[in-house]
Amino acid sequence: MRTLAIVLGAVCAGGLVAVLVLGGSRSAAQTTKPVADSVRAAVITDTTSLSGPRQPIFFRHDIHAGQFKIPCQYCHYSVAVSSEPGIPSIQTCMGCHLAIAGSDSSAKTEIKKVRQAWSEKKPVEWVRVHYLARHAHFPHMRHIKVMGPNACATCHGDVSRMPQVFRVNNVNHMGFCISCHVERKVSRDCSVCHY
Amino acid sequence: MAAVTHPSAAPTHEITQTHAEVTRDVVRTLETASRGYVILLLSAVALFLVGLTTFGVLVKDGLGHAGYNPPVFWSVYITTFVFWVGIGHAGTLISAILFLFRSPWRTAVYRSTEAMTVFAVMTAGLFPIIHIGRQWIFYWLLPYPNQRFLWPNFKSPLIWDVFAISTYLTVSTTFLCFGLVPDIAAVRDKVTGWRKTVYGLTSVGWRGTDNQWRHYSRAYLYLAALATPLVLSVHSVVSWDFAVSIVPGWHGTIFAPYFVAGAIYSGIGMVLTLIIPLRRALRVEHMITEYHFDNLAKLTLLTGSILFYAYMMEYFVAWYSGSTFEQTTFYRRAFGPMWWAGWTMIICNAFVSQLLWFRKIRVNLTALFTISIFINIGMWFERYVIIVSSLSNDYMPWAWSQLNPTWADWGILIGSFGWFGMWFLLFAKNFPIVAIQEIKEMIPMPRKRGGHH
Amino acid sequence: MPDEAPSTIDRRKFLTVLGATGGGALALSGCSTDKVERLVPYLVQSEDQVPGVATWYASSCTECSTGCGVHVRTREGRAVKLEGNPEHPVNKGKLCSRGQAALQGLYNPGRIKGPMVRNPDGTFKLVTWDDAIGRLAAKVTGGKVAVISGAGAGTFSDLLAEWTTALGGRLVRWEPFGHEPFRAANKRVFGVDKLPAHDFAKARYIVSFGSDFLDTGLASIENQRGFAQSHGFAGGDVAKMVYAGPRMDLTGLNADEWLAIAPGTETALALAMASVVAGERGGAGALASVLAAHTPAAAAKETGIPAERIERIAREFAAAQPSLAVAGGIGAQHAGATELCAAVNILNYVAGNVGQTVDFAADLGSGDGYAALGELAAAIDGGQVGVLLVHDANPVYALPRTSRFADKLKKVPFKVSTSMFLDETSALCDLLLPHHHALERWDDSAPRAGVRGLMQPVMEPVFDTMAAGDVLLKVSQKAGGALARFNAPSYQAHLRAKWDALGAAQGEKDAEGFWHSALQRGGVFQAAAQAAPAAIALAADAGARYAAPAFEGQGDFVLAPYPHSLLYDGRGANKPWLLENADPVTKITWHSWVEISPETAASLDVRDGEILRIVSAHGSIEAPAYVYMGLHPGVVAVPLGLGHTAYGAFAEGRGVNALDLLGAPAGDFVSYLSTRVTLEKTGKYRKLASIAGVPRQLGRGIAEAMPLAAAKKGLTVKEAYLEEGHGEHELNTEREVVALKGWSEAQHQATKFGNYAGDHPQWGMSIDLSRCTGCQACVTACYAENNIPTVGEAEILRGRELTWMRIERYWEGGEKPGEPVSARFVPMLCQHCANAPCEPVCPVYAAYHTPDGLNGQVYNRCVGTRYCANNCPYKVRYFNWYKYNLMAWPSPLNLQLNPDVTVRARGVMEKCTFCIQRIRGAQNQARLEDRPVRDGEFTTACAQACPSDAIVFGDVNDPESRVVAAKRNARGYHVLEETNVRPAVTYLAKVLHSVEG
Repeated sequence: MRTLAIVLGAVCAGGLVAVLVLGGSRSAAQTTKPVADSVRAAVITDTTSLSGPRQPIFFRHDIHAGQFKIPCQYCHYSVAVSSEPGIPSIQTCMGCHLAIAGSDSSAKTEIKKVRQAWSEKKPVEWVRVHYLARHAHFPHMRHIKVMGPNACATCHGDVSRMPQVFRVNNVNHMGFCISCHVERKVSRDCSVCHY
Repeated sequence: MAAVTHPSAAPTHEITQTHAEVTRDVVRTLETASRGYVILLLSAVALFLVGLTTFGVLVKDGLGHAGYNPPVFWSVYITTFVFWVGIGHAGTLISAILFLFRSPWRTAVYRSTEAMTVFAVMTAGLFPIIHIGRQWIFYWLLPYPNQRFLWPNFKSPLIWDVFAISTYLTVSTTFLCFGLVPDIAAVRDKVTGWRKTVYGLTSVGWRGTDNQWRHYSRAYLYLAALATPLVLSVHSVVSWDFAVSIVPGWHGTIFAPYFVAGAIYSGIGMVLTLIIPLRRALRVEHMITEYHFDNLAKLTLLTGSILFYAYMMEYFVAWYSGSTFEQTTFYRRAFGPMWWAGWTMIICNAFVSQLLWFRKIRVNLTALFTISIFINIGMWFERYVIIVSSLSNDYMPWAWSQLNPTWADWGILIGSFGWFGMWFLLFAKNFPIVAIQEIKEMIPMPRKRGGHH
Repeated sequence: MPDEAPSTIDRRKFLTVLGATGGGALALSGCSTDKVERLVPYLVQSEDQVPGVATWYASSCTECSTGCGVHVRTREGRAVKLEGNPEHPVNKGKLCSRGQAALQGLYNPGRIKGPMVRNPDGTFKLVTWDDAIGRLAAKVTGGKVAVISGAGAGTFSDLLAEWTTALGGRLVRWEPFGHEPFRAANKRVFGVDKLPAHDFAKARYIVSFGSDFLDTGLASIENQRGFAQSHGFAGGDVAKMVYAGPRMDLTGLNADEWLAIAPGTETALALAMASVVAGERGGAGALASVLAAHTPAAAAKETGIPAERIERIAREFAAAQPSLAVAGGIGAQHAGATELCAAVNILNYVAGNVGQTVDFAADLGSGDGYAALGELAAAIDGGQVGVLLVHDANPVYALPRTSRFADKLKKVPFKVSTSMFLDETSALCDLLLPHHHALERWDDSAPRAGVRGLMQPVMEPVFDTMAAGDVLLKVSQKAGGALARFNAPSYQAHLRAKWDALGAAQGEKDAEGFWHSALQRGGVFQAAAQAAPAAIALAADAGARYAAPAFEGQGDFVLAPYPHSLLYDGRGANKPWLLENADPVTKITWHSWVEISPETAASLDVRDGEILRIVSAHGSIEAPAYVYMGLHPGVVAVPLGLGHTAYGAFAEGRGVNALDLLGAPAGDFVSYLSTRVTLEKTGKYRKLASIAGVPRQLGRGIAEAMPLAAAKKGLTVKEAYLEEGHGEHELNTEREVVALKGWSEAQHQATKFGNYAGDHPQWGMSIDLSRCTGCQACVTACYAENNIPTVGEAEILRGRELTWMRIERYWEGGEKPGEPVSARFVPMLCQHCANAPCEPVCPVYAAYHTPDGLNGQVYNRCVGTRYCANNCPYKVRYFNWYKYNLMAWPSPLNLQLNPDVTVRARGVMEKCTFCIQRIRGAQNQARLEDRPVRDGEFTTACAQACPSDAIVFGDVNDPESRVVAAKRNARGYHVLEETNVRPAVTYLAKVLHSVEG
């Protein structure tokens, strides 16, 4: 009976969620057009047109992860061993930016902010983009373990092409998790995430 | 409406009025409200507001304000819920089943009882929402496609409940509105001004043509047939809320019939409580007569006796089961800390109803009214005893505890009466509380008995 | 769950406060994604902290002078749980409730926020540390310094001693319930001025003379471990335990026989036994003649116990080899205490237990005794004290008011306190130098010979506090002069130097290595050299004396104030866990009570909850009555630890302090059992905030037990019943079970599809009632692990406590006068039924069965119909009636929350999850390492904490697992088996040692 209910649910709600997901990815496609398959990240003059929340520092994933191909785990150091991906410490930033001051003016100004934060001992307060309700436990490491170190894009979108990170999928929608788990035939047991 | 013309009908209760007089009398009940009526209505609204405020506090802070005292996780709210569902049943019984059985005496009372049904179920429907811990997501109990891929648990009696109540509300509302159409039309023809327009719209173009009557009576018959099983099903389902559990005192196979009987018993109790003052207030004594009360009382006696039997049977089963848990529960029901509630229930329901063996009492309105009050109290306590006393001493002695209700419990209880009263009064003032057409059919016609118009 | 938003913390909020040490952190949180959340990164990533992964540190417990070793679990730089250190010889990985609650001392809202000085108007104002230390330095040089400190031994207390002597001052190391009588008696009888260690594991017959060695006694965890060995049917046998005392404490409730002797007459009993034993075995030497005078008949007159019964027990005691007699508790707290300890020593000696089960090698630490404090008080009166430093002691509260210590304190010109809290003593001080909590500082402890525990800071200080050691050093540097030699740059350096010396003394070449291994292991532990039995001889003038007890004042009753099981001497009264966790004997929470015997209750016509006024020559208190069957009719007992006038919001104005009834202490120790009182009815009533419903089993076979003989034969509980000729119930009418089996089989066919296909672990538990002593360490562990809110007194009065794990205490016997009374303890938690009644009735699948055999509870799916709780036969489901999540953890207490466990909002049902977060954690780890989860790799919080290892948890599908082995035990049974809910928890019936022989 219980199983039946779940299956029914899957069938009916499947369509609904499909639409949701598609809609999400479509918006992604549009906003990433400017830098479409160019190894070199575009120079961005007008940051107001970028989607996603404005960060205290205009940190460009498309330059770090895209152009310079820095692996995600270089900064998000604990993602493979912990449920938390790990937000890089300012020290990590300074590791490079002691030396690298930035090529163009906009880069220079942003990098100044990092150095300032370091000297003032005031950590940068990033605006959170991906949020998961606190009653759901998401073990990042298991997903990395199974889907490989570059699986990040599955949920977070192709960040390496985002000048400013925006939400591609609402990871806080249970349907988003379930549809993937159904697809991959992995556990749909509630207590895997909810406890 | 051929349905109700019945050989035995005529002699037993002559209506001595002309069609015109009937219509006049009934329409008179709809004229501008008396001071008494307004006071009644206002007090009903006031009570309702008390309940509303209480509910507000519950939503704000949590259910803690109510007197819940684990292991008593259900108490006054569920009690009142079952109470109101039960009330409804008499209405449907009288309007639908008695209709199918061609029992003529229902005619004068069925409209009011039917209204009572609808409003009682409307009241009951609120409680599943009021009593849950997170009222704002009550809709999770409904099956609907959602991004979580989740469905309710169709195994859970609480889900059956949701379906039973919603079905019941839909059907009985339809039945009521449908039955109203010809009468509204009659009223429409008597009143003037804006009221005429309103009744005109609500009577959906009823002209009383033969053709309309033919379809109407057929449809009415089918609706009655549709409503009939609900009298049995709905309260059976409600009884399963308890019967399917393993709580000693709930886990009983006799619960379905036991609850249905109880429901009708309590329903008629409420009918009497309402009609006896109402017929005087609306000056329709000559339409709702001694004859009707005699019959209602007989029905009360029947269902009351069934309850009596059920009570005895519960104790017998408890003893016969050999289960120490059942036995303890029922011993404590009579002699435990809640003995007073247990005996209130037995006296008010099992014993008091037995007085109705005497016709003198059956036709004495004062006596009937008093008894009806006892019935209402008794039936509320029946549910209270079943729910609270069973929960307060089940399997683990270590967890045993007693309930102490608080203002929050009483607030909601009072509010539910206000809510019910408000709707009933509004209805009584705006719609014919006595079925005009069917009364007219009672009037002996020299040319042809009953039959179509 | 909207309600969660503001105050609840889990790993997400922790993530946002990661940077708290580096910079200001703010955390807006909530379920909806549209709220702006900030992620505050570390400025510098510390090597040993990986967000989302726990880091463990070894340290030592300072909650009492036992000095257990602890492991501290930290997440994102916050200590979130305390567990025992498995390597530590004293507690071997276990920790009592009081020890675990240290966490609530660390995050206690009542802590002093920084150094403070008293204003003229009596209020305090914050100052800088420099200022504060300057003020102290200025004073100490003036001399006439005195110091009162706690009994805890170690580098700090040595430093304190040297420091004080350097100033020519006097140091008094005092704490309540001191052990002076033991020292005195041991000196007299054996010539050793030491405290003994008892080996309960070896003992085959135990007699306790009022000693509460399982609960409030010293090293209770160690004792429980040993007791479980000898009394827990571990080796297929049960050592008999007899408890002699006017009141049955938790130890008494675990005894097989209770001798309800008159208060203060233990000595007579002990000597009578000794004389019988000596008669049996000889070896009394010079004492034989002295002992001969103490006949059982004489003792019978004193104690009220029939002579033949005394004789019987004495013979049993002599016959069992080795046996063990212990004095202590209330028995050792009256004027004749030293005599009792001496008598017990003699008894042990003549029974040949010394060197067997009684051993002086360990030399447990203890304080200086009241005498020293008395002298200090006199000195204060004599104006010989200019500066008084109070450290880790609260004499103003812990001494009877008649000692007028507060007034004496006021006479001291300059009073300094290092207390973390504004307690009764520090409230009177002029300068407050709040100490670091044990989890915030470097330190060590030397609780006994061969054991040296190390402490390290596991996190940044919560408040602007400073380690007392650093205060001493800084003051020394400022003051110079005699103190100049205390020139270590910091207390940490001082400590390190001491440890290097220690390493050298132990022949360690590599000081660095020694230090680091000590840090990792939590100290250095060596077995104390066992003294050969011969080494300890009976002194000629051992003196077997007994003086009939004399109690001051008039009245029909002797007042027996005793240390509260959880609040102890009152130090626990500011920790909600300890207040809410019920007293294991009376099951009362949050308030004081007075215990009266049923006889007294009958004669005064008093019922539970009636407020009685207890009047002594020195004062009177009012407390609600609790009618207790385990009490001598001539005694009224009142727990200590409440009635604080300061000590933080949780403690203040709660309950009464029975010390107000006692006379001024004199001599070596405070004599608690010293006063006669009268009882007066006040006509007032209050409902007892007790978690007990009906404390009788009503023949429902909840806490099963079987005779030793049957257990030895390997009978099942049912067979044991039949053998006793019980026949029917108790266990159950088999028919019901059989009838229901088929249906439940069908039920389980349904769970073979989808997620449920394939083989999963099936988590299960077994609980051995023979080992369980009812100490409730598991309950506290559960509160700590699972973020269980404390609901407070008002809610407990409505029965709304959320104890996922509760210890039910059922009385046996005692219904007719003269019938012996005993207790049975049943840890009751969610049974995770394979055929759970709560699951099908949930309309939204919030309660459902997981593939790995758990009874899942999805909080965020729960709408709160509460049907599951109604349908749960064990009544182990708990509901959030209010927004407890916003009420239970006033900041900074919320920092203690376990980030792996969702904090439940109002309106949802919750219950034991078998610590699913630990299960998932272990599974995740195993998955990363591509291996299956190993048995014993992890366990539930309750099983981890249980001092007597009564609880075993594991995968029932793994035939090799320990839990399977335990479940195979013939004593295994299921509570309420007739309901056929197929519990995953198997209980092992308690094995009863027959009273006769």
